[in-house]
Amino acid sequence: MITVRSVSGSSQSPRSPSSQPFLSVSVTDPVKLGNGVQAYISYRVITKTNFPEYQGPEKIVIRRYSDFVWLRDRLFEKYKGIFIPPLPEKSAVEKFRFSAEFIEMRRQALDIFVNRIASHQELQQSEDLRTFLQADEEMMERLRSHETGIFKKKPADLMQIFKDVQSRVSDVVLGKEKPVEESNPEYEKLKNYVFELENHLAEAQKHAYRLVKRHRELGQSLSDFGKAAKLLGACEGNALGKAFSELGAKSETLSIKLQKEAHQLLMSFEEPLKDYVRAVQSIKATIAERANAFRQQCELAETIKLKEINLDKLMLTRSDKVGEAEIEYKELKAASEEATNRFETIVRLMNEEIVRFQEQKTVDMGIAFHEFAKGQARLANGIADAWRSLLPKLEVCSS
Amino acid sequence: MITVQRSVSGSSQSPRSPSSQPFLSVSVTDPVKLGNGVQAYISYRVITKTNFPEYQGPEKIVIRRYSDFVWLRDRLFEKYKGIFIPPLPEKSAVEKFRFSAEFIEMRRQALDIFVNRIASHQELQQSEDLRTFLQADEEMMERLRSHETGIFKKKPADLMQIFKDVQSRVSDVVLGKEKPVEESNPEYEKLKNYVFELENHLAEAQKHAYRLVKRHRELGQSLSDFGKAAKLLGACEGNALGKAFSELGAKSETLSIKLQKEAHQLLMSFEEPLKDYVRAVQSIKATIAERANAFRQQCELAETIKLKEINLDKLMLTRSDKVGEAEIEYKELKAASEEATNRFETIVRLMNEEIVRFQEQKTVDMGIAFHEFAKGQARLANGIADAWRSLLPKLEVCSS
Repeated sequence: MITVRSVSGSSQSPRSPSSQPFLSVSVTDPVKLGNGVQAYISYRVITKTNFPEYQGPEKIVIRRYSDFVWLRDRLFEKYKGIFIPPLPEKSAVEKFRFSAEFIEMRRQALDIFVNRIASHQELQQSEDLRTFLQADEEMMERLRSHETGIFKKKPADLMQIFKDVQSRVSDVVLGKEKPVEESNPEYEKLKNYVFELENHLAEAQKHAYRLVKRHRELGQSLSDFGKAAKLLGACEGNALGKAFSELGAKSETLSIKLQKEAHQLLMSFEEPLKDYVRAVQSIKATIAERANAFRQQCELAETIKLKEINLDKLMLTRSDKVGEAEIEYKELKAASEEATNRFETIVRLMNEEIVRFQEQKTVDMGIAFHEFAKGQARLANGIADAWRSLLPKLEVCSS
Repeated sequence: MITVQRSVSGSSQSPRSPSSQPFLSVSVTDPVKLGNGVQAYISYRVITKTNFPEYQGPEKIVIRRYSDFVWLRDRLFEKYKGIFIPPLPEKSAVEKFRFSAEFIEMRRQALDIFVNRIASHQELQQSEDLRTFLQADEEMMERLRSHETGIFKKKPADLMQIFKDVQSRVSDVVLGKEKPVEESNPEYEKLKNYVFELENHLAEAQKHAYRLVKRHRELGQSLSDFGKAAKLLGACEGNALGKAFSELGAKSETLSIKLQKEAHQLLMSFEEPLKDYVRAVQSIKATIAERANAFRQQCELAETIKLKEINLDKLMLTRSDKVGEAEIEYKELKAASEEATNRFETIVRLMNEEIVRFQEQKTVDMGIAFHEFAKGQARLANGIADAWRSLLPKLEVCSS
């Protein structure tokens, strides 16, 4: 699915009016490969672009879920401060894993994932993105298996690492460690907002999912009732029988409408809410990274102070260790500058990201709510019309 | 609740004199919980308004409880074989539900319908037991309830068991387990098959109608939960998006209330009439069982008489001194046989009238129930559609 989004992304600026740069990706054609527990879904990823760094105007590759995870992990590692777009979860429920609905929901979420990267001013320049979009399957497999460091783990483990980082942040907040926290009231406000938001969002998403379930159940009940009413109609066989049959047929029709709407609710409303939840979790990971960078900066600053004192001491005593200490001191100074740069980069990027995120979320959720309200209104009107059309046929009975 | 409609316009009423049409109108009202703990029960006020000469006066108010209604139903069933005695609502099995406002109202309504059906039935309204029920004071009623003899000195559950025994005896006959003494009447066969098939389908439909009510409630509850969560989200976000969340939340809560109201309506105006239909069919099955009993008695007596005749002829030929005795026995049997035949033929005649009456009434009742159902559903749906549409302009602000 080619989403024009990448062209209208707020971060794009035309270089020359005649050929605007574009990078547009589709994730399509889910196909089940393999057998038994080894079975998995592969997707066709189609890239259309005029970026000079790319091999050509169009490229098609085959990718699987773990390839997307690889890309996300690499970007998270390299672009600290940027809210890396979230991935859909690996499904825990085995039997649901290959249902048509799940596969479609995942495909859609993966498509959105890649396009968000492709339309992000910084992330779209990523070399790992180019690899992901162009490398052949053997190369991808090699990269996936050779992944070193903390990211040579399954996504569940990755989440655990996020949680560890997060709990380290909480530990800091709770004063379990030396409190090395930014004393920045604006930032405090933001963090509180993010944590509160995650809770409320998760609640809302849980209830939105239940809403979908209830629509399905009501639809099923209507269908069961419709069948029973029709049997009753066949049994009665007179005016009353006809009324039962009409009632039954109408109930079955409406049951189908309800099931359709339940599916729509899931795709256009519950899924965007879930996406919002994941995005907030991505922000939390960035918050953890920023706390890490801040702590490293502080620790290095502390260490440098101690080294200065030590150096002065050595110089006063004219020790022969002065040279060694001076070299160490210079290295530390350089590392400290690097740590400060890293931290300040994260802060700068985060500030831009917050604005971008808020704007995009407002638009996305606005659309989702609109679809929700429209869909509900349409369903309700359809139901009202169906029942009203039945009334004249039922009046025959009561006269 | 005075239902003037039914008792006056009952198809079985015919005016005696144009100036004062006979009427018998009953209300079952004012449910009040009396007693404590497991002894607790509901009492109802039964108000009778009538100009029937056999009654004590134009108006009478008495206090009755559920088991009094059961007494009345049992007496009528015993005395008016062939007539479909109006059905009673079940005794609730679920203890904690027994005193819920909804259950009490549903029961009161069903009892009111029960008494009024009796009061508007051409034969049943003449019943002395009905007069007792509507006029006797509470001590008298209690005495009658406790002194009830015969098979009806049992709890309703046991009564159902007896019905089932009778029914299974009928099935046994059908299955050829006993000597097949069944009417060979194709019309009647068709009717019996129809009744049994109807009961199955009705019970299915009623079960699913009840589930429909439950699902409406659950959807309403989900909308309410979602609404609350959305409002919290709105308060947390605090900007245009926050406002949108809050609006969505408020609208969801409003609609949740609508759904709960409709669920209650569905229960009272649709699911309950279906349940009433199921009970009515069970009442018909009890009458079918009575008819089979009466037929079997008639056949058994006819068989016995034949044997007695043969025996009598034998005795007369041998000039036995037992002839006199045998002749008396024979005469008694003849009389009993005539009585049995009369009883059976009365049941057949009454049943034929009852079928017609029942079909007509049921068609009207169910027609009304379906109409209410469809209207209520349409009204609910329109309300829901309007509510969501009114939200759209407020949401458009977000996406621009």
